[in-house]
Amino acid sequence: MNARTPQEDVKIRVGYKALPGQKGDRLEERTVKPAAGDAPPWDAMTQFALVGSDVDRVDGLAKASGRAKYSYDVTFPGMLQAMILRSPVPRGKLTALELDEAARMPGVQAVVALKEVGNKVRFVGDAIAAVAGVNLHAVRDAIERIRAEYDREEHNVDYLVADDAPMVDEKGAISEDWPADEGMTAALLEAKVTHDATYRVEVQTHSSLETHGGVARWTGNDLEVWLSTQATFGCRGELARALQGKKIDVGSVTIHSEFVGGGFGSKFGAGIEGLALCLLAHAAKAPVKLMLDRFEEHTTTGNRPGALMQARGGVDAEGRIVAWDWRSFGHAGFSASGGSVAVPNYYTADAKVRRNHKDLAIDADPPRPMRAPGHPQGWFGAELFLDELAAKAGVDPLTFRLNNDREQIRQDQWRFAAERFGWAAARARANEPGARLLRGVGLSSARWGNLGNPGRPAHGITCRIHQDGTVETRSGAQEPGVGTKTMLSVITAEELGVDLKLVKATVGHTGDPSGPASGGSTVTPSLAPAARHAAFLAKQQLCELVAKHLGVPAANVTCAGGLVGLGKEQLRWAEACKLIGPNPIDVRGQRFANYDSKPFHGSQCGVQMAEVEIDSWTGFVRVTRMFGIQDCGLVIARKLAESQVLGAMIQGVSYALHEQRIMDKRSGRMLNGDFLRYKITGVRDLPELECHMHSIANGHDSVGAAGLGEPPSVASAAAIANAVFHALRAPVRHLPITPDKVLKALAQKG
Amino acid sequence: MKPFSYVVPKDLAEAAAAAAQPDTVLKGAGVDLVDRMKERLQTPAQVVNLLPLRRELAGVARTADGAVHIGALTTLTELEQHAELQDPALQALRQSAGMTATPHVRNRATVAGNILQFTRCWYVRSEAFHCLHGGRGPTCLAVTGENRYHAVLGWLDCVRVHPSNLAPPLLALGAEYTTTLAGKERRRALAELFPAEPRAQNPEHTLLPGEIVTALHVPKQPAGARSAYCESREKQTFDWATTACAVRVVLQGGKIAAADLVLGAVGPNPLPRPKAAAALVGEAPSAALFQKAAELAFAGANPLAHNDYKLTVGKAIVRQALDEATR
Repeated sequence: MNARTPQEDVKIRVGYKALPGQKGDRLEERTVKPAAGDAPPWDAMTQFALVGSDVDRVDGLAKASGRAKYSYDVTFPGMLQAMILRSPVPRGKLTALELDEAARMPGVQAVVALKEVGNKVRFVGDAIAAVAGVNLHAVRDAIERIRAEYDREEHNVDYLVADDAPMVDEKGAISEDWPADEGMTAALLEAKVTHDATYRVEVQTHSSLETHGGVARWTGNDLEVWLSTQATFGCRGELARALQGKKIDVGSVTIHSEFVGGGFGSKFGAGIEGLALCLLAHAAKAPVKLMLDRFEEHTTTGNRPGALMQARGGVDAEGRIVAWDWRSFGHAGFSASGGSVAVPNYYTADAKVRRNHKDLAIDADPPRPMRAPGHPQGWFGAELFLDELAAKAGVDPLTFRLNNDREQIRQDQWRFAAERFGWAAARARANEPGARLLRGVGLSSARWGNLGNPGRPAHGITCRIHQDGTVETRSGAQEPGVGTKTMLSVITAEELGVDLKLVKATVGHTGDPSGPASGGSTVTPSLAPAARHAAFLAKQQLCELVAKHLGVPAANVTCAGGLVGLGKEQLRWAEACKLIGPNPIDVRGQRFANYDSKPFHGSQCGVQMAEVEIDSWTGFVRVTRMFGIQDCGLVIARKLAESQVLGAMIQGVSYALHEQRIMDKRSGRMLNGDFLRYKITGVRDLPELECHMHSIANGHDSVGAAGLGEPPSVASAAAIANAVFHALRAPVRHLPITPDKVLKALAQKG
Repeated sequence: MKPFSYVVPKDLAEAAAAAAQPDTVLKGAGVDLVDRMKERLQTPAQVVNLLPLRRELAGVARTADGAVHIGALTTLTELEQHAELQDPALQALRQSAGMTATPHVRNRATVAGNILQFTRCWYVRSEAFHCLHGGRGPTCLAVTGENRYHAVLGWLDCVRVHPSNLAPPLLALGAEYTTTLAGKERRRALAELFPAEPRAQNPEHTLLPGEIVTALHVPKQPAGARSAYCESREKQTFDWATTACAVRVVLQGGKIAAADLVLGAVGPNPLPRPKAAAALVGEAPSAALFQKAAELAFAGANPLAHNDYKLTVGKAIVRQALDEATR
């Protein structure tokens, strides 16, 4: 590829070639104007050496062998351990807090109050005080000696009986009238077939294997924190602001987060545990480690909220949706926000549509974002509603989707998935009368829209080429296990035309260029173009050195396939790098704004299908196979992209069948805050999983990639619930679909 | 932290002497005890590690009378795979051992430890809850609280369920257990290991302080004997049963000549159901017969607010166990 910077309009081809087994490429021409100095765009015609291939996870061996050091693993001589005293009271006021006895306990080095007398206590687990000491036994002993007293108030941890909760009948359906709307009433009256049903989902916790927390070490007024986080820069600012009294500014704080054991949306902030850690280390004048235990992780670090959702709608004689009325109520913890629910909008383009949501406060830990916030809940309700409506109208669910889905990409995906999954045959297969095992298949769409954080030039990537031929690509953003290091390595190696083994990616140290938080599937679309730009700039510098060495004009020197030079005058990569000298080529790439022209598609599309087998005697549901097709723009590292999709499907099985927070209403305390009673899908519960990555040249920046945290998380539970509906010929409208609910659905069907 | 002494005995006599001291707990694999001690739910003054006695207390052997001797410290993996147990009459034992927890746990957990498990009730197992069985309060909190995993049968003032999945098949097979206490060996029917009245104040077992279970004995099974163990769960990987059933039948000339039926995970004790078993005797196996036995097995059930599903599921598990045993 020519190393000259394009400054004029470039014509590119966007879209995708026909999916296997389908006819007709969906390619369009676009004219884009890259920013001055940016790398020229990749498009649908680009021939890649590495991008899109099956490379291994670059840190897979380090993780599997234990060499990778997570915050939990960090240790220093003289390091203290710490714990937090938690409120046993769900609602009230702190009326007394005496720390002196705890501070005098043997082995205790620091005690800090996290609330003052008179402060409100908002939920069981609210942080009251923290202790650091020589080991966890000494710390626990001291915690038990803290005298905290509370003025307890009446509490409620059930959002369905909150003051502003809707009326619900004995079957769990919302019985309150819909708010008046003449247009909606008319649309429903005109519809040929209508349906009205209530859906419900329970609270799912993030359950990251590495809990929240970290290690803090002060050197004078400089603070270093090894933190398990999804937002290194956000946490750096958060801690600097919170610690202003300690005479520090943002520049004094360094966050290290090279390996993170999962976050799923729960680790955007340093939180009270992060602050406590730094205060304790400051007071004790020693490094302090504070990692939450599993109960604290379940009960104080957020969750995917529960929701009660109701849909009514209707179709015309042609099976087109003409009315879509939706209302939902989310459990929102004490913060009374964050419980919202999203529903698909691409089925109802011509329908009369209404959507309402209300968050209901309870005296519990508030929600935090979790893989596609609001989406798995809403898609479950909406897609199951659509299947029920389709069944009433006598239409096959796939035909119903094809009739109503307005997105071309998904039209192709529906047909492709149906072919691969064997939809028609599986759907037509009837269960033998009286059979104990009931089989069924179901499907769901997915959508998530994010093309990165454009217009944030502060996001960047450092690229260095050393004289020994090795290459560094560095970001200060974190990687909570999703494959960012591999993505950066592949982009860099592709741009430089070198072996992937020569590239080392490092992430998670705030001394390196800033990047986004790992949220909303923004990291890949934000950093892939920056990594490419950095490699592109580094390549230009290397080309200049080689040009000078060979005595040829720099503008025409190429760097590809491990060779740098012009025409027949080529240096091997290793030879070329020897020209660099002791100081490496050291450049910083930036994240330019997205192109002004319209991208091929503004969001990511997916479809999933599931098959279940239900024991009608015991109500036990087994998912036997799942198939997903997922678009993420340009596929950079195929195996890792597939891993993100399959992982989301596994999480979806768990959400559909197993996971739920169970609260004791009297005490306001979670009963199953461990990994024994909080049930997460394990290997023997997993179906055969398969996915197809649908690579699309999107044309929104020089790379055209999208992230995969959210998109594949949307559809799984909905597809499983629809398969259960098919198998039972009766819907289970409440997740998780545990045996008791299946038996109830069968009994009600009669 | 309350300090405790840790005894590593050289032989059974030394273990028994240590076990007789006050405020002492015995540790097998420690699968659960270590967790409870870390959570300070149990804070003994002394812990006696029995694992050094594996040489004398582990292993499976056929005795001269055709019975099977199972050492108390035999692991679940050994039980599942042992050559002496590859017999249709003992299928229930292998099935039960093989579906417990995870391979890691089965490689470590012992037979006696499984039978002597502490309840998994979420009220009992959190010091935040002042419940009677946990020794922290006046009443059972689960009776009126969240009880989807709790008892439906045989409960008095505490609705915990007995979590052992080896106890039902051992009871169905007519097993006995041997203990040592103050130098004396005693051998009794396994049913005597569980309290006759499983009240909140009673522990899960009837062992006296210092008493150590040394072996289980499964008597020689008659010709035509077959057994099966089934349990319902909410997931297949590492879960506790919501209901369980072990059955042993003796088939003669196409009819059931003798039967035993024991339920698990539905009451504070593993529950033999003699009336259900008696209904099978003299009959030819059939779906209708199994349905009848299942109904009898759950006769007199008293479900709580959130666990009546256990009746439907439990009856299905009884039918399935009978089907597997007579197939």
